[in-house]
Amino acid sequence: MLNLPRWQTIVIAAITLLSALFALPNLLPGSVLQHLPQWYATSRINLGLDLRGGAHFLLEADLRSVLTERLTNLSDAVRAELRKQQVPFRDVTVEAGKNLVVTLRDEANRSKALEAIRTVDPALALSGSGDTIRVAYSEQELAKRKKEVIDQSIEILRRRVDETGTLEPTITRQGDERILLQVPGIKDTSDLKRKINQTAKLTFHLVNEDVAATGQNIPQTVPPTTFLVPTREGMQELRRTNPKAWEDIQAANPRLSPEQICRRYQPQCLPVLKRVVVGGEDLDDSKATFEQQQGGRPIISFTFNSAGGRAFCAATRANIGKRLAIQLDGEIISAPVVQSAICGGSGIITGSFTTQQTQEQSLLLRSGALPATLTIIQESTVGADLGADAIQAGTVAALVGTALVAIFMFVAYGPVFGGFANLAMLVNLLMVFAGMSILGASLTLPGIAGLVLTAGLAVDANVLIYERVREEKALGRSPFSALATGYEKAMSAIIDANLTTLIAGVLLFGFGSGPIRGFATTLTLGIITSMFSSTIFTRMLLAVWVRWRRPAELVI
Amino acid sequence: MWKPVRLFNFKKKFDFLAQRRAALIISTLINVVSIVGVFTLGLNFGIDFKGGIAIQAKAKDGTAELDQLRTIVGNLGVGEVSLQEFGDPSTVLIRVQRQEGDNQCVAGAQRVMQKAAGQGWQVKPGAAGTGDVDFTSPTALDAAAWRDAVSRAGLTLQERQLPRGSTNTARIDMSVEQRAEWCQQVAIKLVEDAIGSNYELRGTESVGPKIGDELMRSGIWAVIATMVAIAIYVWVRFEWQFAVGALIAMLHDVISTIGIFVLFQLDFSLTALAAVLTIAGYSINDTVVIFDRVRENMRRYKKMPLIDLLNHSVNETLSRTLMTSATVFVAVAALVLFGGPVLQSFSVAMLWGVIVGAYSSVWVACAGLVYLGLRADQLRPADDKADKGGDTEKAEA
Repeated sequence: MLNLPRWQTIVIAAITLLSALFALPNLLPGSVLQHLPQWYATSRINLGLDLRGGAHFLLEADLRSVLTERLTNLSDAVRAELRKQQVPFRDVTVEAGKNLVVTLRDEANRSKALEAIRTVDPALALSGSGDTIRVAYSEQELAKRKKEVIDQSIEILRRRVDETGTLEPTITRQGDERILLQVPGIKDTSDLKRKINQTAKLTFHLVNEDVAATGQNIPQTVPPTTFLVPTREGMQELRRTNPKAWEDIQAANPRLSPEQICRRYQPQCLPVLKRVVVGGEDLDDSKATFEQQQGGRPIISFTFNSAGGRAFCAATRANIGKRLAIQLDGEIISAPVVQSAICGGSGIITGSFTTQQTQEQSLLLRSGALPATLTIIQESTVGADLGADAIQAGTVAALVGTALVAIFMFVAYGPVFGGFANLAMLVNLLMVFAGMSILGASLTLPGIAGLVLTAGLAVDANVLIYERVREEKALGRSPFSALATGYEKAMSAIIDANLTTLIAGVLLFGFGSGPIRGFATTLTLGIITSMFSSTIFTRMLLAVWVRWRRPAELVI
Repeated sequence: MWKPVRLFNFKKKFDFLAQRRAALIISTLINVVSIVGVFTLGLNFGIDFKGGIAIQAKAKDGTAELDQLRTIVGNLGVGEVSLQEFGDPSTVLIRVQRQEGDNQCVAGAQRVMQKAAGQGWQVKPGAAGTGDVDFTSPTALDAAAWRDAVSRAGLTLQERQLPRGSTNTARIDMSVEQRAEWCQQVAIKLVEDAIGSNYELRGTESVGPKIGDELMRSGIWAVIATMVAIAIYVWVRFEWQFAVGALIAMLHDVISTIGIFVLFQLDFSLTALAAVLTIAGYSINDTVVIFDRVRENMRRYKKMPLIDLLNHSVNETLSRTLMTSATVFVAVAALVLFGGPVLQSFSVAMLWGVIVGAYSSVWVACAGLVYLGLRADQLRPADDKADKGGDTEKAEA
């Protein structure tokens, strides 16, 4: 047992050194880290929000409403198709969050009706009997849609929350319908809530050319069907020439309407009809691309859904030669002249854009509204100083705890054996740090408690071994034999004891959320690594020591 | 260099199992009292499980005036409120019961809106039976301005819920459940508005009704699953009597730990649950070490009466039991003393777990073996063989 082959000694030493290497960036002060390569210096354990300070929101998406909305759209399409194919029906109703119910006038038309509904969407699941047909989306379709909604919401949240690109938010999916949003280092959650609420409201309006023809930028009166909206260029111009006014507009409470901004600050404005031709909710996609001819200017292309496409087609056909204004968040980003009817369901926006602008704006168009309402179902905010207090308390507790354990071991088993056990405890801590750095796990306050607990538990293996060695020594065995049998016979108890604690740790990890998961992480990691440090590592130390000192008697 | 000190080395062998009847009575008593306590005094559930709001506030000028705060927060119409000093005299933990989304919350939302956006604002409950809320602003606003006003009040209402055109009234569509969740935010904002001028809010936590119920359910499952999984493990490794003994010991420790939470009315939060699960794992750790020795001795001394054999095994492992308990105890004691108020209930529970874990492995688990009628000749052939030639390695596989 104590005759370790050389390669084993090397492997054990290598594992220990590697762990120390991985753990080191967490322990070195910032001044030293500066001089190290960045990839190494930055591979540190993340601090949890409870230590770092920050906000944590668990949001739940209202997928039921999304489905109901979608079914309502579907019911229109089904109605239209049934009419087109001349299938008489009594009613098409939406059962919220579930399906559509089509009631036919005559049972005899059932097969014809089924066919008509299939032409709307072949993937629909149809059931029911007699004169009623239940129309539902298939399970796969629903699952796919759910995933899309959550993914899109995450994307939009990321854009809204991290406008400036400095907040480092963590936005992850939790289960089927939830999103976890964590933003370190912020304390004012109303600001974060404002960002979640933020909209990119996109609408297409016709320009009221009669008013525009007067030539005045800001006409005294406009008809009630019309309102004034500042153009984007106008606002940028205002910002350059009159920064004070621009700041006032941003800070105004309540916010000024576009018309008020036009009247009060007189930037370049356009009179547009209030009626919305198409809204951003009908926009399916938008991309930044380049024009085919005319030198390949950067442009924005967009695609509508079928309803949007139809409305857009009708509006452009009736208004050739007039301007169509694209309003985004209360500013007109462009107002191109309609050259011809645009009926393919897609179109382009040209203007004096840079490539970067087209990219930004297409993203804005695309990420318009959140596809589902998100409700905050759990929230926690930790101020930075509270986090600092927690770090302080955790560090002191960890240092005192491990020091007390170390003193205990020294006193009970003497400088050699106590020293080896304490060295093992140190290696164990390094390995936990290394493991957390590699796994990218976060250290939380309960995680620190887990570390302290692990320090107390990890020496248990050594206690088991040493007590066994004492027993074997009392039986009159030679030092070498007493050590070897001590290790051997304690092994079964060590494994049983560690595995049972491990079961608790793993289940805790599976169940836990947030800080508790941090506790389960350090505890579980600590138990696993302690199996190495307390047994294999100390055995190596003892093997080397025995060979070196060849003790006539064990002082244990 | 110093000599090792045999801290827990006793010349005398103790007859532990002689006290098994007394222990049985004591253990039963503790457990019955704990269970009765849970149903009469009740557990002091934290917001993790109950739902609700916890706000840590620090007085800007020195001392927190608890009575004054209690009156202020108590009059906000947010339901039951409890306050306690947290860590030091300037800091106070304000707990508000979970909001159910009733009309009182809507009235609260109106006060929040009025403070944030002007006196003219009105917020009223919408149609009965729904969670709808009607907002009325003094002037017509477009969607962006609506969003802005609502955001200023620290509330989330997204574009889908806000009106599309320019209007001064808006019905915000919400289900009853959504409104209940939303009302947690209203309550936080109400408390913030009421005490924000004199107190710095260091941390806020809110758990809506949905999450609270879920955590409660999954927490109970986690405890059951942990105990069953550990019992199955012990059953695989030992005879069934050991598994039953271990399970009873675990139950004993878990129930009595919960009893400690009842007795001291400690905050039973997620961290507390973590403590309970850890205690289950830790207490069994101790038990298994003794069981391991019992099994070894059963092979060695086939003729020894069970009581003597158990006593012998417990005595042999006694110094280890005490030594490990002592190391864990000092580590946890450091957490109690220095870990700060957040970890307090966790650490206190763990401290109890260390003591009760050591007690239960002797007087519950081992005594249980006696009552379960374990006999030395009952060893499974595989377990019996294992010790021949000291090949314990095989037994681990």
